[in-house]
Order: sequence, then structure tokens, then C-alpha cells
Amino acid sequence: MTLIVAMAQMPALIPKEVEIQRLKKIWLIVIAMGSTAASVEVDNFVDGSLHQTSIRDSAFTPAHWWLYSHFVALPLGWGAAAIYDRKVPILRGPNNSMNTGLKMTILGYLATMFTIGVNEMWHFWFVEEIFAVPNHWMFNMGVVVAFMGALAYVVRVYARLVELGAETPGENPYVAEMYKMALEGKLYSRSIP
Amino acid sequence: MTLPKGFGSGGAGGSSSADVERMIGRRVENMTGIITVSFWAAWLATFGGTAAGYFYYPWAYPTPSGHYAFIVLTIIEAIGYIFCVKVMEEGSNKNSNGIVAVSIAAVAVGTVLISLYVGN
Repeated sequence: MTLIVAMAQMPALIPKEVEIQRLKKIWLIVIAMGSTAASVEVDNFVDGSLHQTSIRDSAFTPAHWWLYSHFVALPLGWGAAAIYDRKVPILRGPNNSMNTGLKMTILGYLATMFTIGVNEMWHFWFVEEIFAVPNHWMFNMGVVVAFMGALAYVVRVYARLVELGAETPGENPYVAEMYKMALEGKLYSRSIP
Repeated sequence: MTLPKGFGSGGAGGSSSADVERMIGRRVENMTGIITVSFWAAWLATFGGTAAGYFYYPWAYPTPSGHYAFIVLTIIEAIGYIFCVKVMEEGSNKNSNGIVAVSIAAVAVGTVLISLYVGN
């Protein structure tokens, strides 16, 4: 028996126009969350400025409201994306489960949420705010896992919009060739047929 | 094309444009209003956040730092707003450049005035 794997040739399970509209609604959520995530880059500086004034402060100072609320807002946003995502067949994960990128993203941000508690418990005894203390590790690892998952998911959504003709692939001929190979299922590996 | 349960003509095959419209619901190109309202809400909430620094924690959160955060956040939000509206309307006949321009200009003026006159 021959197993034929056609990576980019999924059957159309819903009308094309419906799929484009649904993918764009997911894209709206993604843009909103991207703006939220970008804002936290600013908070890095605000938080650094605050910790120069007071070495260990409370959980409820402005820089921390900003930082911690995004650890709550992004999992909720990704949860909303996961609920809506079920309406787009191409974004299903293995065995019709949640998309793998979404799973990673939600787990990563959940880890950062739990780390808020760990962080407060640690700082009950140790006041120093050195970046590399163990209570901060799970923040960083959680965020990295979440970013990896989010990138996989967002790229999949955008690539599908390109496949459906709703977005124009790059004009650079090399990029255009990559899109062509992806559509033929040849981009990721030439050794796996 | 096979449609989900409740759509189409009950196994006779085929989907009408009415079915497609029903599956889509509110079209993204018609969401400019709610996107604009969300942008304004986000911008006002941003001012609320930095106002906590101006008025409640001036000892820990100096006003210039708050203005810096407010200005950069406004830029980030404006980029997200433009991106949302342009992506949602591309490929359609809709064009909301006027609404976007008015919103962005108003927010730009508001940000400058707040940075100049609000805080200690």
C-alpha cells in the first residue's frame, strides 16, 4: 500500500470565501495580541526604571500591573483564538485536536501565569531582583515556548491566506519560489515524499 | 461541496450563496466601526494606566517615564489599528481611509497635549 502525503493539498471542507473571512477574524485577534505583546517591550524599560528606584517593590506597582496583566490577557486571547479556530478545518491538529502551535502557546503563557505566584513566594524571603534567579526561569522559558507556538500558528494562518489567494506572496522571486514549493508540498523536506 | 449540518439542501449537494453568507456572519470588511471603537478604548485605557503613575505613584514612576510609555504605546496601538483596518478591507470595495486618518490625527494631537500638560 502506498501512502501519499500531500502537504499543502488539503481538501476544501468549507467554501473558500468562508474560510478567508474566518482566517481574517483570527488575524484580527492575532494583531490585537501582537500589539499587546509589543507594549510589554516598553514595560521592560518602565520596570527597569522602577527597580532602580525601589529594588524590591510590590506586585501592585504600575510596571507590574502592566507586566502581569499581559500574562493574563494573552492566554485569554489565545483561548479565544482556540475556540474560534475550530471553525477552520485546515488549522486542526493531530486527531482533530487543537492546533499544535496553539497548544504550545497556551501552555507557555499558562506557565508564566503560575510563575507569578512562584515569584511572589520566592521574593517573600529573598529581596534581590537579579534576572537569573530561579524563580524567574519559568517566566522566560514559558514566554519562549509561547512565542515558538505562536509563530508556528501565525505563519500557518498567513500561509493559508496565501494559498487561498487572499494575500499576495512576496515579489522577490526567491520568496515566490518558496511559496510555489510550499504549495507543491516540497518546502520542508525533499527526502520525505 | 459538503456543508456542515444545518446548511445546504439536505444531501442534494451544492451550496447557495445564501448558505455561504450565513456561514460567514458579519464580514470582516464591515468591522471598521468596532475596530475603531476598540482602538479608542485601548488608547484611553493606556492613558488610565499611565495616569496611575502620574497621580498615584509619582515617587516610583516619574512623569517623563510615563509620557515615554504613553507615546510609544500610542504608536504601537496606531500601527495595530491601521494594520487591522487595511487587512480587513483589502480585496473588498470598502475604503475607510478617512475614518482612520481622522482617528490617528486626533490621537496624535491628544498624545502631544497630554505629554505637554498632564502630570507633574
